[in-house]
Amino acid sequence: MSVILKSVNLTKRFTGVIANEDVNFELRAGEVHCLFGENGAGKSTLSSCLFGFYQPEEGHIEMDGKAVRFASPRDAIAMGIGMVHQHFVLVEAFTVLENIVVGTHERGWKLGMASARSRVEGLCREYGIDLDPDTSIRDLAVGQQQWVEILKALYLEARVLILDEPTAVLTPAESARLFRVMDHMRARGLSIILISHKMSEVMQADRVTVLREGRVVGTVRPQDVTAEALTRMMVGRNVELRIARDRKIQARSSAAPVLVVEGVNYRDTQGKAALVDISLCIGEGEILGLAGVSGNGQKELFEALSGVLTPQSGRIFLAGKEMRGLPSRHYMDSGVGLIPDDRFREGLIPEFNIRENMVLGWQRDQAYTRGPFLDQEKIGAMADTLIEQFQIKTPSASTPVNHLSGGNAQKVILARELMHSSKLLLANQPTRGLDLGVIEYVYRQIIAKREGYAVLLASEELEDLLNLCDRIAVMAGGRITGIVDPLHSSIEDIGLLMAGGTATAAAREAI
Amino acid sequence: MSELFSEAILISILAGTVRIMTPILFAAIGELVTQRAGIWNMGVEGTMLMGAFAAYIAATMTGSVWLAVMAAMMAGVLMGLLTAFMTATMRVDHFISGLAINLLAGGLTLFWFRIYIQGRAQPTFDGFDAVAIPGLSSIPWIGEILFTQRLLTYVAFAMVPAIWFLLYRTRWGLELRCLGENPKALDIKGINIVRRQYGAVLIGSVMTGLGGGFLLLGFSDRFLADITAGRGWLAVVAIIAGNWMPRRVLLAVLVFALLESIATHVQVLGLNVPHQIFLAMPYLASIFILAGLRHKTNQPVRLGIPYFR
Amino acid sequence: MSETSAISARARTRLTIEPRLNKNLRWTLTMYCAATLIGTGLSALLLWTSGADVTRAFGALLKGAFGSEKAWIATLSKATPLILTGLATVVAFRAQVWSIGQEGQVYAGAMGAYLGCLVFFGLPAGIYVSLIILSGMIGAALLGTAAAVLKVRYGVNEIISTVMMNYLIVFLLSYLIGGGPWTEISTSVVYQQTPQVPETARLQYLLGSNKLHLGFVFALVAAAICYVLLEKTPLGYEIRAMGHNPVALSYRGTNIGRTMLLVMAISGAIAGLAGVSEIFGTSHRLRADTLYGLGYSGIIIGMIGGLRPLGTVIAGLVFGGLASGSLYMKLLAQVPAALIPAMEGILLLTFLCAGVASRYRLVRVGDGDV
Repeated sequence: MSVILKSVNLTKRFTGVIANEDVNFELRAGEVHCLFGENGAGKSTLSSCLFGFYQPEEGHIEMDGKAVRFASPRDAIAMGIGMVHQHFVLVEAFTVLENIVVGTHERGWKLGMASARSRVEGLCREYGIDLDPDTSIRDLAVGQQQWVEILKALYLEARVLILDEPTAVLTPAESARLFRVMDHMRARGLSIILISHKMSEVMQADRVTVLREGRVVGTVRPQDVTAEALTRMMVGRNVELRIARDRKIQARSSAAPVLVVEGVNYRDTQGKAALVDISLCIGEGEILGLAGVSGNGQKELFEALSGVLTPQSGRIFLAGKEMRGLPSRHYMDSGVGLIPDDRFREGLIPEFNIRENMVLGWQRDQAYTRGPFLDQEKIGAMADTLIEQFQIKTPSASTPVNHLSGGNAQKVILARELMHSSKLLLANQPTRGLDLGVIEYVYRQIIAKREGYAVLLASEELEDLLNLCDRIAVMAGGRITGIVDPLHSSIEDIGLLMAGGTATAAAREAI
Repeated sequence: MSELFSEAILISILAGTVRIMTPILFAAIGELVTQRAGIWNMGVEGTMLMGAFAAYIAATMTGSVWLAVMAAMMAGVLMGLLTAFMTATMRVDHFISGLAINLLAGGLTLFWFRIYIQGRAQPTFDGFDAVAIPGLSSIPWIGEILFTQRLLTYVAFAMVPAIWFLLYRTRWGLELRCLGENPKALDIKGINIVRRQYGAVLIGSVMTGLGGGFLLLGFSDRFLADITAGRGWLAVVAIIAGNWMPRRVLLAVLVFALLESIATHVQVLGLNVPHQIFLAMPYLASIFILAGLRHKTNQPVRLGIPYFR
Repeated sequence: MSETSAISARARTRLTIEPRLNKNLRWTLTMYCAATLIGTGLSALLLWTSGADVTRAFGALLKGAFGSEKAWIATLSKATPLILTGLATVVAFRAQVWSIGQEGQVYAGAMGAYLGCLVFFGLPAGIYVSLIILSGMIGAALLGTAAAVLKVRYGVNEIISTVMMNYLIVFLLSYLIGGGPWTEISTSVVYQQTPQVPETARLQYLLGSNKLHLGFVFALVAAAICYVLLEKTPLGYEIRAMGHNPVALSYRGTNIGRTMLLVMAISGAIAGLAGVSEIFGTSHRLRADTLYGLGYSGIIIGMIGGLRPLGTVIAGLVFGGLASGSLYMKLLAQVPAALIPAMEGILLLTFLCAGVASRYRLVRVGDGDV
């Protein structure tokens, strides 16, 4: 097979960081080649260079054996490289067709919508994509929006397609569909670079190039290696995320329920039913997992349980006290801690320093004020204690948190929430984007707190949930489609529930 | 108040409306283009003022109205370059830089005006005369209102469908609207965002400058320090009230001009109603419109947000 | 010739700008000094092209601003309302509430105070003045709160609503003093102003002058209060946090709507105080022309002052100096006083550019080998 696209000794530096160092990568015609690695390993940077968004400091790119230079994505597009970004670049107010067409005109002033429409409809038929070109993006679900991104590349007659974490927002069934369409593409001569950190996807590729800290560790065929070997290549050491957890499954009837949710419904400002008839309960000392593809109501559920939003109906009891309709202040005062999924947007003030972030939410509390003023001494003492206790790596307590790494910033939130909560911890994707070492640490901290405490843990990594939780609730389409026992469930069972199906008999638990 | 409803007065009010509309319409439609590209040009008032001033200088120095019109448009270009530099190149906050530009324009025009006059009586000029369109202007009522206006008024009205066509039926219009909604989508395709923003700002400023020029040439024979008197702001308000759509903006400008025309007539006729009520109505109305629109707004998503790669 | 030998072995680079990681104090200072220099230079250029004697003009300007005790008195008294409107801007902008309503709030403060002056007439002097001041501050605070309510309950952009309300207030004043109930009429001549306010209502003069009044003390006290509020109190913490990230703040138990109302009330009250001090300290009657522009200038002063109370005081003094010096400049060098607003505009533009430039740096990035 001939090599279509290749990078030779490519090095890309940003201020203070070497994102790609001496990377040699080659894509053969008609293959699906996976770029595998942790966050920050350099996958996105490499693909951005291949797409012309960045220009490397050293090294060069070859296409069809000839050296090329992409001054901008325009050049890459002209040579037939298309990219589907992880975070979509779509215009909500436009239709599908307008999004595909905008910026593709070579010359002239005419829009040419009629011919564009027939081309797009043809592409949809050819690849089996079910999309009406005249729908507005606003009315499309996230999974469907991704097809628009893919169509944008196909419309420009891409020969090489770069997919950046495409299944992050898809259910297992939708992911399978995507891979089937990818097979169609290969059959038609497309070559695909797939960026992913999911083992299941890596194993489906023809070849895998593993990146670690900006360097290529190796290029292998998935059929020749084991998953463990790949993980070792990715991380550099043997990692066993098997956190020993003694799960004394307490008799549910005797465990005092900390959180009881009954029939909660929430319709958002757009009129969409984000939460439908949610009922669950979490007992003392229990970790309830929450599985499901992002965008199916998990965020709204966390916001409802922390008082950020008010559901239109239903009841929420915290240690017996009715909480629905009360603002977040009351939840915090009642002992609820929240680790939000968007840590810099919802959990921290990025420009404030560690000390100020540690007291975020408690700035009026007696413990931290003296009369009408803030008591900087007490706040500082608390911050210093927590920095040491949680081993937060920082030059000082006065460092702004946007200078911290993602992991250390997360530790700030974790420390603050664990310190100030007493009954319930809501953890929404607490380990997303973090390195394995920090992930282990976060989970250990969460498990360590037990007496009178309950935890709701949402994660996209089903393996983690299966490992750590007493029970797992699965959400799809704003509903809880099932609550299962991790000891008797498999990923396929949960995947089925995530797609809205019903649990198998063996997995279903009488609640 | 019943004096207002005599035939002659009504015709005068409506004809006045069309005339008053002209400068505001130029500015509003022009700035609509700028805003759809994501730039919130708060310096409309200042640009209009500069346009009026440039027209004045040219008119009194050369005696030619059309040279004055060119001067007004040139002033618009210069102000537009400044605005675009601040917002697209330097990526400064749009609102504050607009306020600074207003302040600058106010100071500069007054400063240069004082120096220009330098002790003598203020020079005057002959502005635009109404042009009666043959045939159509003889129609009772409408003839006098619509078809006996100044040339630039007809141009202003023609700009509305022209801009509509530009925005919705050309490829540049699509790309321009994309600028205001999600510039990254264009950046990814290698389109030069800054250049496009300059273009959008210049279109707006040239038209605003032209509007300022008309404000001078079509209404009076001399320059006054506060000749714009908030009309630049009214143009911005009209864009908001028109929910960023060309036809609705035209309607908003019509209503505002009507109110101003009524206010002027009330004042001139010495009626016992505070004319300020009519002047205040556009502003009051906009607040209500915005409060009511809330989620159904058509405001470009990235309006006012500087684009960083 | 093989492909590889056609490729140059040296990497190409080009210059570009990118955001800084750390705020470099020296760089920032350099930028702002450059801004001041460029701004002053452009103003000098403006003067020169208009045929005036630049050194004479600037000399007269400085002398009229800071050159004598009399000059200083004039400067401080001109600075008083500017510092106050600047502080009003600081409080609002630090919370990311982009209120452009200082102008209208100044008018509202003046009108509220005048109303109080009419209503409470006859009370003993100390109480009388206090009530007048209070009425002014409340009137302006109400205006500010109205904008906050529109934002919180109806989602109306505060920039637009405050500008709209500025116009409404101006129209209201124009009616009241231009033929309406508060107009001063003498022998069938209608002035655009009210009659003089009673002696007992006026703010005391300071330092034996007849220009500098108690309002200046208010301005300094207000600056001190703003500093303490923002840096040392929980409310100040919330205001600053809201200015950076209102989402996180609301997740963590703070009612954003309530905070916004408080911010706008405080900001309005301070701006209103400027109106009170102008009417009852300087002009001694309610008229529009002395109030004009104080609010908009306040925005500029607050921004040039770096949105900090101390910086605002300094900026207020500088701009007050420019305003009072301009009269002297007009007299001595025959330069129209309108140079000052032009200068202010230029300076603000250069300062804005400096603000952006201080957050960026020039770097070399790679351009690939080919």
